[in-house]
Amino acid sequence: MSLTFSLAHLLGGIILLCAFLQLSQRRLAAMITLYQTEALVLAAAAFWQGYAQAEFNLYLTGIITFALKAVLLPWGLRQIMLRFNMLRAVETALPMAVSMILGLALIGIAVLVVLPVTMNAISLTREDLAIALSVVLLGLLLMILRRNALAQIIGFLSMENGLVLAAIGMPGMPFVAEFSVALLVLLAFLVVGVFLLRIREHFDTLDLSGLEEIERRGR
Amino acid sequence: MFGLPGQGMHLHLDALSLLFGCILLPQVAAAALAGMRGSVPFWAFVLGMGLTLLAGDGFTLILGFELMSAASWLLVMQGDAKPATLYAGVAIFSAACLIPAMFLPVSSLAFVLIAIGAGAKAGLAPLHSWLPRAHPAPPAGVSALMSGGMVKVALYVLIRYAFVVLAPAQQPWWGVALAAAGALSVLIGALRAVLEVELKTLLACSTVEYVGLIAVGLGLALYAKAIGDAELSGLALQAALLCAVAHGLFKPILFIGAGEVKHATGTTSLNWLGGMMRGTPRLGMLMLLGALGMAALPLGPGFAPEFLLFHAAIGAAATGGILARIGFSALLAVLGIGAALALAAAVRLIGLGFLGRPRSLHAAAAEDARRGPFLAMALLGVCCVPLALVPGLILDLLNPVIMLLAPAAQTPPLAYAPITLLVLAGIAALAAGFAQTRWGVRGLREVPAWNGGFGRSPAWLPFGDPHTQASATGFAEPIMRVLGKGLLGTAMTDPAERFLLAPLFRLQTKLIRLAERVRRATIRERLAFVFAALVACLLALGLGQGG
Repeated sequence: MSLTFSLAHLLGGIILLCAFLQLSQRRLAAMITLYQTEALVLAAAAFWQGYAQAEFNLYLTGIITFALKAVLLPWGLRQIMLRFNMLRAVETALPMAVSMILGLALIGIAVLVVLPVTMNAISLTREDLAIALSVVLLGLLLMILRRNALAQIIGFLSMENGLVLAAIGMPGMPFVAEFSVALLVLLAFLVVGVFLLRIREHFDTLDLSGLEEIERRGR
Repeated sequence: MFGLPGQGMHLHLDALSLLFGCILLPQVAAAALAGMRGSVPFWAFVLGMGLTLLAGDGFTLILGFELMSAASWLLVMQGDAKPATLYAGVAIFSAACLIPAMFLPVSSLAFVLIAIGAGAKAGLAPLHSWLPRAHPAPPAGVSALMSGGMVKVALYVLIRYAFVVLAPAQQPWWGVALAAAGALSVLIGALRAVLEVELKTLLACSTVEYVGLIAVGLGLALYAKAIGDAELSGLALQAALLCAVAHGLFKPILFIGAGEVKHATGTTSLNWLGGMMRGTPRLGMLMLLGALGMAALPLGPGFAPEFLLFHAAIGAAATGGILARIGFSALLAVLGIGAALALAAAVRLIGLGFLGRPRSLHAAAAEDARRGPFLAMALLGVCCVPLALVPGLILDLLNPVIMLLAPAAQTPPLAYAPITLLVLAGIAALAAGFAQTRWGVRGLREVPAWNGGFGRSPAWLPFGDPHTQASATGFAEPIMRVLGKGLLGTAMTDPAERFLLAPLFRLQTKLIRLAERVRRATIRERLAFVFAALVACLLALGLGQGG
């Protein structure tokens, strides 16, 4: 197996590991660091794919990923965290062990689905796709399991990383799509930041369980 | 014009539609006379029934049937909103069964759907519990037409499909199932008719019983036709069709009369009536005629059909294997109980409502029937006379219909001669009258207490003390003890309501709770739900591919 495949799979594996470790982290700071690492490796993967496929657009994707997700968004997340004084532990809806078992099961499902379905495709795409699907599912799981709004946002961003990973592994993916997805993420981040401020103003916390309680009782 | 694309609408008139049209005609005239002339929904109702009878294809039939349902729903709602909702539910259920059945190939499934759909609309057990609630709600003329006419139209649909359209696929068990449902209706309807206190509810329960009798006749005819018994099928069809004719004549009299009772006294509760035969003789005599039909007494319009039906049941008990013999003998017993209970209900109606002493001032001061309703009742009463006295002639008129429904059927002549019976009964009545004038007691006579008769009227109650007479509930008490507690339970609720409506209601409550729970779900719960669905789909895909 050539170096192209090995390295692409290695980078993908590191991204998957970061996404999986986010599930096990109780502290927001560690989650942000993991997210930053994930984005850095994603940028590296994009550069490597650009080199391997000799595609200029993928270099652009890498630059955007690096600037936006590895620098700008973690910085913003840290700002929010510091401003709201949330260096303390993150509560979860489920115990850590259970959530990690669920995550493992999801990775299993992703592999089970992608590998047989894409039997005829080239091998590079197949394993990358399995990893990307796992990252997406893990991000969704993170959004569901955490009560804290900031942790949910990190889950959302991690999920988007999985989508980008799938996109760069696919030869011939138009650049416009990736670019617009990146822009959308930035916008979503801004909107959510404003929302967080408002929630904080009203409830003095970013823990959404209180909000859910009000919703359940109020109607 | 209208209709399914490429097929259009077709009208078709044959002996069967003509017969049911003739059943409807006097009732429509009577209901119009009884004060429904100016009502638009009423005429839409009539139009719907006419269209159903004249339909030449499934689409036209359904169109007419649903027009009839919708218009009658409006009319029920004018009376009372609560049963109207139940009624609309039954009508929708019936449509949901009938519409697919119209377009299914000829098969047993189509028959089952038709039987359930038309049976629910006709009030066949176990789908009858709406009928005693919905039929008394609208004005009397509409109640009369619903009980006498709409039920017949539903049965017409059943007959048309079971005997004509689906004839190539017929099975003996169709008839057995229909006869079983009919027997159940007879039992429940007759029993409830004896126990009900409200006059119109009582009449509606009696309608359930009569629908059961017609269904038993039709079931026997279907069974006999399927096993190839020409004589039995002819006899059973004669019984069923004559039953439909008779019920279509005497039941509207009773309903319009009940409306007049309500108009005159302000109530239809038997516990507040009594003694009206003296104050309202015209109304009383016509109600007596109707009750004569309801009780199926000889010389009344209801006797000949029930006589034929018993003959058919006896004939059926002599066919088939041991199980069929036992089953049809049991059917005979049920019919006997039903006839006895119907007699009790009619006696109770007349005895408590129109004889004895008034139980309220309203009943004592009641005025006789108004002109329009009286004319309506008299018209129907005149129509009853040939049925009561020369049923043989009417049976001859039914022959083309029977030939259409069961071409192989043989129709024996009627073994019942009402004219002779009338002469004999007249002689007996004259003799009794003579005996009473010669040896009878004149004036008042004092006897020891509890020896029958009435207590002496106290000074403050010039019409007598109502509490010295049996009440409607008390009159029915022995039957309630013997049969009612076993069949209806101590709460006196219809078994269909307990075992059919109540579980449905609980299911609905559960579904509403579930929907409310979904509506109140938090964002995370909704997300989790979507996520779970996604994972399930992926899993199915992966396992499917892997396997």
